[in-house]
Amino acid sequence: MRRFLTFVFFMLPLTVIATPVIEIEIRNHLFYPSEISIPADTKVKLLIINQDPTAEEFESYELNREKVIPGNSKGVVFIGPLPTGEYPFFGEFFPKTAQGKVIVK
Amino acid sequence: MLINSVIIILREVLEAALIVSVLLALCHNLHLSKKRFIASLLLGALLASLYAANLNSISDLFDGVGQEIVNTSLYLIIFTCLILLIIAIGKKPINTTLVLFAVSGCLAVALVREGSEVIIYIQGFTSSPNLFQSVLAGAFIGAGIGFSIGVFFYYLIVNLSPLNGVRLSLFILILICGGMISQATQLLIQADILASQAPLWNSEGWVSERSMIGQLLYALIGYESTPSPIQVAFYLISLAIASILAIMSLRTFQFNTTE
Repeated sequence: MRRFLTFVFFMLPLTVIATPVIEIEIRNHLFYPSEISIPADTKVKLLIINQDPTAEEFESYELNREKVIPGNSKGVVFIGPLPTGEYPFFGEFFPKTAQGKVIVK
Repeated sequence: MLINSVIIILREVLEAALIVSVLLALCHNLHLSKKRFIASLLLGALLASLYAANLNSISDLFDGVGQEIVNTSLYLIIFTCLILLIIAIGKKPINTTLVLFAVSGCLAVALVREGSEVIIYIQGFTSSPNLFQSVLAGAFIGAGIGFSIGVFFYYLIVNLSPLNGVRLSLFILILICGGMISQATQLLIQADILASQAPLWNSEGWVSERSMIGQLLYALIGYESTPSPIQVAFYLISLAIASILAIMSLRTFQFNTTE
């Protein structure tokens, strides 16, 4: 049990470090970058920074994600591990312009 | 912009309208006073504006997943209130204090959840006056359609015999219970508290989540076209718990009404 706990103790920071962070900015109701590439079968932390004064909802049916990012604020969304493919996402409040996709390679 | 705001507001209002109409109809069938409804809805609206005003700080909680944690808690409170309500109906005689408590809790929290999203969405446009008008018009149309569907459900239930009315209400409440747990599970996966898994199936080709039917099914039964195994498992467990309690409650209720 003690060995196991020591193992978990040392592994925990590793799993935290192992989660790559990808930043996406929202400016003038557009995503920058609008296309992001991530490796297959890997969990990724998306840090979405909303530079606009208006709120935006990061949404993706393919990724099963939905989160309001308040104006001039940021939000975290975890995605993956995913198989290879393309996963579109959009800003629900400004869907005409706010479009993007996650490409899993 | 108009069509988009119609859809966004309709989606939020539909979920709230469904819960409110079923609970109103249930209280009507149980001959309970609806006075508390207004107070609960007002409290819900007040809390929704507080939630919307503090969204920035809520989002920053728990390393950026505060929204998910708070929303999951709201869904779990609604689920608990619905379960308490189902149990209260099965008491002999009906535990009216518990029914009213559960109904009030459910209404207030449902309004916080859906109302805050409406406020956040509309608030964003106050700084752009040229868009604001069409957004507001769209919001009214969306809310109008949502309310109409709620009114339809209310009269559908109220016009049945009291026993059938309670049966249908309980049936819809069971489905809402499942939907709440499914949404809570989804948020916990998004916050990386529950592990992300490959979807159990993909029914997007049959009923798209983007379609009107998909949206309606989402509000009614918590429909997801690509649910993960853990989500389906929790959904089924919550449906089973709610169904068993509802069947037990209905037996006592039938006995109460025939007595």
